[in-house]
Amino acid sequence: MTQAPAVSQENPLLEGLRKRRTAEPCALTIFGASGDLTQRKLIPALYSLAFRNLLPPNFGVVGVARTPMTDDEFREKMRDAVVAHARDEFRPEVWDELAEGFRYVATDFGQEGGEQHVVECLHALDRDRGTAGNRLDYLAVPPAAIEAIVVAMGKHRTSEGWTRLIVEKPFGHDLESARHLNEVIRTYFDESEIFRIDHYLGKETVQNMLVLRFANGIFEPIWNRQFVDHVQITVAESLGIEGRAEFYEQAGAVRDIVQNHLLQLVALTAMEPPIDFSADSVRNEKVKVLKAMHTPGPKHVVRGQYGPGYIEGEEVPGYREEPGVAPDSLTETYVAAKLFVDNWRWADTPFYIRTGKRLPKRETTIAIQFKRAPHPPFEIDSEDSLRPNVLLVHVQPDEGVSLAVGAKVPGQGMTIRTVHMDFLYGGAFRTGLPEAYERLILDCLLGDATLFTRADEVEEQWAIVDAMVAPWKRDRPNFPNYAAGTWGPATAAELLARDGREWRAH
Amino acid sequence: MAGALSTIREIERELGRLRDEAGEPGAHPKLRTSVMTLMAWVPERWVDAASETLSGLAERHPSRTILLFPLPREDRDALEAEVDLRCFLRGGVEREVCSEVISIRLCGRRAAVPASVVEPLLVPDLPVFLRWRGECAWGATELEELVDVAQRLVVDSSEWSDPESGYERLAELLERVAVSDIAWARTERWREAIASLWPGVADASTLRVAGPQAEAALLTRWLSVRLGRAVKLDHEPAGEIELVAVDGSEAVPARYERLSASDLLSAQLEIFGRDHVYEETVRSFSPVLS
Repeated sequence: MTQAPAVSQENPLLEGLRKRRTAEPCALTIFGASGDLTQRKLIPALYSLAFRNLLPPNFGVVGVARTPMTDDEFREKMRDAVVAHARDEFRPEVWDELAEGFRYVATDFGQEGGEQHVVECLHALDRDRGTAGNRLDYLAVPPAAIEAIVVAMGKHRTSEGWTRLIVEKPFGHDLESARHLNEVIRTYFDESEIFRIDHYLGKETVQNMLVLRFANGIFEPIWNRQFVDHVQITVAESLGIEGRAEFYEQAGAVRDIVQNHLLQLVALTAMEPPIDFSADSVRNEKVKVLKAMHTPGPKHVVRGQYGPGYIEGEEVPGYREEPGVAPDSLTETYVAAKLFVDNWRWADTPFYIRTGKRLPKRETTIAIQFKRAPHPPFEIDSEDSLRPNVLLVHVQPDEGVSLAVGAKVPGQGMTIRTVHMDFLYGGAFRTGLPEAYERLILDCLLGDATLFTRADEVEEQWAIVDAMVAPWKRDRPNFPNYAAGTWGPATAAELLARDGREWRAH
Repeated sequence: MAGALSTIREIERELGRLRDEAGEPGAHPKLRTSVMTLMAWVPERWVDAASETLSGLAERHPSRTILLFPLPREDRDALEAEVDLRCFLRGGVEREVCSEVISIRLCGRRAAVPASVVEPLLVPDLPVFLRWRGECAWGATELEELVDVAQRLVVDSSEWSDPESGYERLAELLERVAVSDIAWARTERWREAIASLWPGVADASTLRVAGPQAEAALLTRWLSVRLGRAVKLDHEPAGEIELVAVDGSEAVPARYERLSASDLLSAQLEIFGRDHVYEETVRSFSPVLS
C-alpha cells in the first residue's frame, strides 16, 4: 500500500505557532441574566475575554430572566455593567462586536413551555451567528430554580454540537439535596458536561498553590507532619450580607463558604501530587483528601453571629438588625473548625479553618506554620524571638506568598526579629490578574474541567459539612457572640488555645 | 543634581542608597522586585525610540534595566552613569514596587568592551535579556561580549538596512544565544493565516507580500522551509504588512492586533525557550548553515 501524501497528514505550517487555546463556536445562555452575578462578574468577564481575542468569532449570548426587556435594553444594561465592573478600559469596537451577538429572552421556567422561547432564540442564533449548535448553559439562578431549568433544557438538547452546563454554588444545601441534584442533572447530562463552579479555583493564587508545591523542589519534602506544626486557613470578609438576607438566612457561613471555598483550599493544601494536570488527576487527589478528612466533633467546631460594631470606624448593625433577617435568627455568620486529614502525610496535623462576615478586614490566606527550630543556640531576649517559620499564601488581597524567617537585628548581641520575604504577584508580573470568572468561562468553553468540582467531590464536601452542623440542631447558641469588626467569638480563640496555639495576628 | 557616577563601585553604592531611601519610617517598605536583568544597547539615533519603548515596560516586567549608550567617538575613555529607582503602584498591591534603571554612557574605547561594566551589575540567578537597537555590530567586540553575557538576544530585523545579510550573520550567533526577533513576532498572525490555508498551500510557489522587507523575507523563507520547496517572493514595500497572498489566495488573519513597540518587546521578554522554527528560517539565509 502506498503512503498517504504529506498533505493529508499534519500541517507543517502550524509548527512553532503559539498554541493559543481557541474555543469552538458557541451560544452561551445565562439563566439569571438580570441578576447581580451576571452584571458584576459574567458579562465583564466575557468583555475581558473579547478584549483579548479569546472568544470564538462565532459566539452569542442569550440572557434569560423573568424581567421583561428587549434585546437592546439588555445590551444597554450589560454595557453599563461592563463600564462599571470590567477590569479593562471600555473600547466601543470590542463591545459592539460582542454585543452584536447578545439576545434576551424574558420567560418563566416555572410555567409550561417557558423554555420554548429560549430554544427558538438559540436556533436563531445558530443561523445568524454560526454558533453551530454548541451550547453552554450558565445557571446563575437561586438553587431552587436549578432543577426546573436543567430538566427543561435537558429535554431540548441539540443533536448537533456539544452541550455543557455551568452550575453556580451552592450546589444543594446538604448531602441529600446535592445527591438529588446530581441525579437530576445526570439524567440529561454526562459528568463530563457538568461544570460545578467554585470561583475560588479560578483565582491565580489558588492555582499558584499547586505551582508553589509541585514546581518547587524545596517545599514538597517539608510539606508534611514531620515539619508542619499546623495549617491555618482564613476566609475573612469585612462586608455584611449586602442585601442577600434571603439567601444567607438559609445558607449561613458554613454553606456559603466552608462547604466550597474553605474545603477546596484545604484539599489543595493537603493533596498529594497529581500525576498530571488533567481534570481527573487533580480532582482524584482532592477527593482523596476529602475522604480522608476526620469528621469534626462538636468541640472542634465554633460558630458565631455578629452583633453591632464598627468597620473602618463606621458603625454597622448586627446581623439580626440587617434588613430581611429574623430578629431571633440563629444563622451563623462565623465558623471556625479544627480538621484532621487522616493520612500518612498529615496524621495529627491540625488544619484550623475560619470564615466570617464583618471581620476587621477582607483577607483570604493559607498559613503553613512550621515546627520551631529544635535547639536554637541563641539567648532569647525578646518576645519576638524565635518564632516558627510561616509560609503564607495570600489568596486575596495582595496576592502572593510570604515566608516569615528569623533574622538578626543589626548591632551588638543576638537579637532576632521575624521578617517577611515577600513575593507579590502584582509586584512581579503584569498588572491586572485575570478575574476568576474569565479563566473559568474560558476553560468551560474549551471543555477543560480541571478547575471545576466533580460530583463525588461536592458530595464529600457536603458529608463533612453535614457532620459539622448536625449537633447544631440540638443546641441554641447565645447569639450574637462577636461584635462586628472583631476577629470572631472568644470560643474561636479557645479552640486554638486548648492546643497551645493561637490564630495568626493580622 | 549630583554628577554622573564613574565607577561600578559608585553605581553600587548609589543603588544601595536608593534602596535605603525607598522605605519611609513607619510606612510599608517599597518592594524591589526583579524578574530579569534587561540590558539595552542604544546607539544615539535610537535613544528616543528606546525611551518610548521602555517607558511603561517596567510595570510589566519589573527588572534591573541597564541602558547602555555607546559613544565611541568621544575623545575620552570613561563611563558615566546615573541610577534611578522607578516606583509605581501595582493593581492589588498596597506597596509601591520599584525597579532599578541604570543608564550608562560608554565613552571612547569603553564602548567596545561593555561586558566588564555590565557583569558586576547583573541580578544573580535571573535571566539576562539583551535588546540590541538598530543594526547589529556583526563581529564587533561589543556585540560578541554582550551576547556571551545574555541568555536571550532581542533584535528587530526591520531596523536593519539589509535584513537578508543580517540573517546570515545572525545565524552564526544561534549556537550561542537564544534569539527573539520582533519582526518575526509581527508575522505571527500572518503565519497563522497562511497555515489556515493548508492543505491548499502545500504546493505553493509564490508568496506576495505588501509589507516591510524584513517581514516579507522571513515569511517567504519560513514558508519555503516548512514546505520543503522553493517559494518565490513577490514583494511590494509598505510600512507594515498589508497583504499576504499565496499563489493568488489571500491569507486573512483571524484577529487584528495593533501592538505598540512596548507590547512587542514585552511579549519577547516572556519567552524563555528557543524558537526552532525561527532558527531554521534564519539559518536558511546562510548558504553554509542552511
